[in-house]
Amino acid sequence: MTITQEALDEVRVAVAAVRDPEYPDLNIEQLGILEDVIPDASGIRVDLIPTILGCPALATIEQDVLKAARAAGYEVNVQFCVSPVWTPDRISDDARQFLADEYTIAIRPRSGPTQCPVCGETSLQDRSEVGPTACRSVKWCPDCRNPIEVVRSRQGANA
Amino acid sequence: MRTWQNTEEFEGFLNAGGVVEPNDAMPEPYRQAVFRFIELHANSEYMGGLTERDWIPKAPGLHRKLTALAKTQDEIGHAHLLYMVAADLGIKTREEMMVDLLEGRTHFHNVFHYRVHSWTDQIAVAYLVDAAALASQQAVFKNCSYGPYKRILRRVIAEEGFHMRNGEEMMLLMAHGSSTQHEMMQESIDRWWLPAVQLFGPDSRPDDELLRWHIKSERNEDLRDRYVQKFVPQLLACGFTIPDQGLEKDPNDGKWKISPIDWEPLKQTMRNGGPDSARRISDARNAWNNAAWVRDALTNQPAAT
Repeated sequence: MTITQEALDEVRVAVAAVRDPEYPDLNIEQLGILEDVIPDASGIRVDLIPTILGCPALATIEQDVLKAARAAGYEVNVQFCVSPVWTPDRISDDARQFLADEYTIAIRPRSGPTQCPVCGETSLQDRSEVGPTACRSVKWCPDCRNPIEVVRSRQGANA
Repeated sequence: MRTWQNTEEFEGFLNAGGVVEPNDAMPEPYRQAVFRFIELHANSEYMGGLTERDWIPKAPGLHRKLTALAKTQDEIGHAHLLYMVAADLGIKTREEMMVDLLEGRTHFHNVFHYRVHSWTDQIAVAYLVDAAALASQQAVFKNCSYGPYKRILRRVIAEEGFHMRNGEEMMLLMAHGSSTQHEMMQESIDRWWLPAVQLFGPDSRPDDELLRWHIKSERNEDLRDRYVQKFVPQLLACGFTIPDQGLEKDPNDGKWKISPIDWEPLKQTMRNGGPDSARRISDARNAWNNAAWVRDALTNQPAAT
């Protein structure tokens, strides 16, 4: 069976809309979890990149991707890739803004210090390396006195 | 920093949708009420996290263990954030809150005062109890007047929604499984239905300060009623019965009506006199004592022997 580019594009559009189980307002494309949709030996393969290894939401995301592809008329395979490594840089600009405004979640900017999403303060204090989810650490803003969660990167630098 | 001349002016600010921030000069009774409410929530997340932890080794299969692990981390993480905001209100330190909880001087939600007997009990907790907790948190979030708490709730709600989906998925598996699985699930529903509908608390008093100060946005009885309308049909559709002899559908408005609730046993339970309260509190005390060396290491104090 030949896989057309049109088919790959249709799958991409369908699965890109799958929502993240822990951030239901954002989809897997905005969060940089969706890497690629490519033909492979058995048909169409959807490559996903986990934000963190051992993420408990992976099985749910996989089911939702299969369902979304099926609704568009395609059976696909889902593969979780270990490379490239997910980093917060993969989060889209609109999703960054949304996470800051709606969830008080900060993301390390591509340059400069991390800012408090509430008041813009840059001298955030460390509270714990991991928070409610393994992909976020917890800091405290001494200015507006809010706990701030910061998306971690696997390079270990989460400041 | 904002200041208010008197209670009327402050309440006017709240009624207009105002959000109070930590640097504001909030009236003392408001500070106390917000603190007590967040402390109760933090204690409940913490006790819930310890219960969830008990099931990591017992959960069937790697996937379920991973989920139990992640849920434990969620609950403990939520407690961590809530204790930070509670301590910042300047009424008790975090350590004082922990010690009060472990000495039985403060409280946590009724649902963590009962024993979780089986894996299907754990599913009933995830499906029925987490949904009730989520419904009440959503109602608090909707109109919450304390900024830092509202911001935490936004994330808590998103994560609890994921737990609920997980609970529903596991419940459906049992509902459509073997007759033994179905019976086990029914037994657990029989044990957990009443605690779940009691989680919302007795009917709200007309002068409830939590409602007046926009810490809560809906009356307890309204939340309970909405929960009943949603869960009774779901359970019946899965072939389960509801452990309430007096449950009936009102022919006039088509709504499900549950029997009146006897609140006396709940009052006893909430005073840490429930069937499993003593064991749970002593378990939490052990966890606290076993981690003393970590706290000592962090504060650079030599460990007490």
